[in-house]
Amino acid sequence: METVLIENLRKSYGKVKAVDGISFTVQAGEVFGMLGPNGAGKTTTVEIMVGIRNRDSGHVTVLGLDPRTSPQAVKARVGVQLQSTELYPRLTTLEVLRLFGSFYPRPADPEAILDLVGLAEKRQSLVMHLSGGQVQRLALGTALVGDAQVVFLDEPTTGLDPQARLQLWEVIRKFKEMGKTVFLTTHYMEEAERLCDRVAIIDHGRIIALGSPRALVAEHFSERAIEFRPQAGGAPADFAHLPAVTRAERQGEMVILYTRQVAPVLESILASPGTNGGGIADITVRQATLEDVFIKLTGRRMRE
Amino acid sequence: MRTFGQLTLATLKEIVRDKMALFWYLAFPILFMTIIGVVFGGAGQTILPVGVVAGGSPHGAAVEQALRQVESLEVHAGTEQEELAALQAGDRFLVVVFPPQAAGAPVGATPVRAYYDQGRQATNQILIASLQQILGEIERSITGAPRLFVLDARPIQPRTFRNVDFFAPSIIAVSLMQLGLFGSLRLVSLRQRHILKRLGATPLPRHTLIASEVVVRVAVALVQAAILLGIAYFGFGVPVLGSWFALAGLTVLGALTFTSLGYMLVAFVRTAESGEGIIQLVQFPMMFLSGALFPAEMMPEFLLPVVRAIPLTYLADAFRQVMVDLPAAFSGVGEAVLILLAWLVGSFLLAVRFFRWE
Repeated sequence: METVLIENLRKSYGKVKAVDGISFTVQAGEVFGMLGPNGAGKTTTVEIMVGIRNRDSGHVTVLGLDPRTSPQAVKARVGVQLQSTELYPRLTTLEVLRLFGSFYPRPADPEAILDLVGLAEKRQSLVMHLSGGQVQRLALGTALVGDAQVVFLDEPTTGLDPQARLQLWEVIRKFKEMGKTVFLTTHYMEEAERLCDRVAIIDHGRIIALGSPRALVAEHFSERAIEFRPQAGGAPADFAHLPAVTRAERQGEMVILYTRQVAPVLESILASPGTNGGGIADITVRQATLEDVFIKLTGRRMRE
Repeated sequence: MRTFGQLTLATLKEIVRDKMALFWYLAFPILFMTIIGVVFGGAGQTILPVGVVAGGSPHGAAVEQALRQVESLEVHAGTEQEELAALQAGDRFLVVVFPPQAAGAPVGATPVRAYYDQGRQATNQILIASLQQILGEIERSITGAPRLFVLDARPIQPRTFRNVDFFAPSIIAVSLMQLGLFGSLRLVSLRQRHILKRLGATPLPRHTLIASEVVVRVAVALVQAAILLGIAYFGFGVPVLGSWFALAGLTVLGALTFTSLGYMLVAFVRTAESGEGIIQLVQFPMMFLSGALFPAEMMPEFLLPVVRAIPLTYLADAFRQVMVDLPAAFSGVGEAVLILLAWLVGSFLLAVRFFRWE
């Protein structure tokens, strides 16, 4: 049985279709990521799955239970981290976890959870004295302290500095090693690529791609990406016809060319009339990523 | 039960660690009560200074002795000159002068002069009447005249009322109102911080959350009322004439009613800031128009319907009746309880109907 099963889920706020007919499943033991820009419908999907928002139509089960008809049963069986939640400012981290643990039938040891999220040294600190990253890790702790088999994390690393993000990824990996299932949303490509077994790319309430990060990149690109800034302001069209270039995109001042043969393309870029003799700057050559997949599918970068 | 206990403990901890909350819930009412007690506590307990010039007369000495028995008098003995000077200076309210003892048994009445300060009309009557009574007693003991009447004085009102006796129960009621109304802001602030939403994603039932909030509020109310009562009782001698259970019951009812009223008020606002505004808007006039701080007799006629419409009016009135046995100003205790219950239920239903959890 799938841990999460969603078929043709729809939810509108007035005229805005926040979720417009999405379907996917999450298997037990996997880290499943929902990747998309802000406003794509990620949070709405999470809130429907954990039973705090009603859907307009579609079929949803979590651990075989419908969160609309049995919200209490679902809530008792899953851990949740919501986006940008504050926690009780005048409780200590340990007290917060003990409190949240008391809501669940068989809670984990709060001290062990503090260890897991790297806050053991802060066990006596009031929430109001924690840094943003520490609060975020404590919020993750509140999702884990119920000792649920499935956790839903809505943008767990948004607003964190790179180091705090790495620490949080570690926690999620440990959690996966414990055999638990993780559903998370993010708008960080790198996070989805590094952390997730499978990724659903969502845009405007629709899933536009679904699969493992590697498979998604391979499906859309066998090429590498050459990204640079033409000094004199050339357009992608000036480069698209170069030999061996399969695709050209423009992102702001940057031009991205995709090719299987990097060296000859580099040479022809420099000789190209598109540079207007002004040369190029900030050149990078890289493997295609989920970002490139997103650009290919939507024509824009995710974080704009 | 484990959930309820943890939640209640957490809420209590949050309040105890919140210096502002502690100030408004405890320090401010204590300050309020102390100031009122210091300012109004003395009024009924004034010690009246009287002077006695015995002039060597045994009757004078007997009167002086009798006057010293009266608790509220401060008896000075001295020469006629000294005592009259003190009266002139305003240091005596009354001076009794016995003529010097003449040799041989006096014939006829001994003239006893009483000088008093004409400016002190209220106390003069009492003092002169007391003096007359004392002289009468002494005279009767000398002449041995039988008593024709025995006055069996039974105090209906066991003591004189002082202003503090009026204010102390009123302040407890006002403090309960403020605690209940402002305490409801906590729920708004939890919502504003998305903590309510986060709790909504746990199996914690909403009614457990609310029950815990209310229990904490009632507990704080009982502590607050106990402290205020202690200050009034031990500090300013305000008695508790009614039942302590009735007082505790009124405290709980008052806390519940105003907490519920607070929830009703904040049901219509989005932020804690606007919630505070609307509560100020309600509590301020309520405090002044409830007859809690100004006796209703002082208010103009046209305000009385407003006074009668305010729940605080009935809570303060009931507190005064139970605590110091003041006569009912608006309604008896039973009726007051019913009116408060009606407010409690009505505002609770409206709060449930209109409160937005998100």
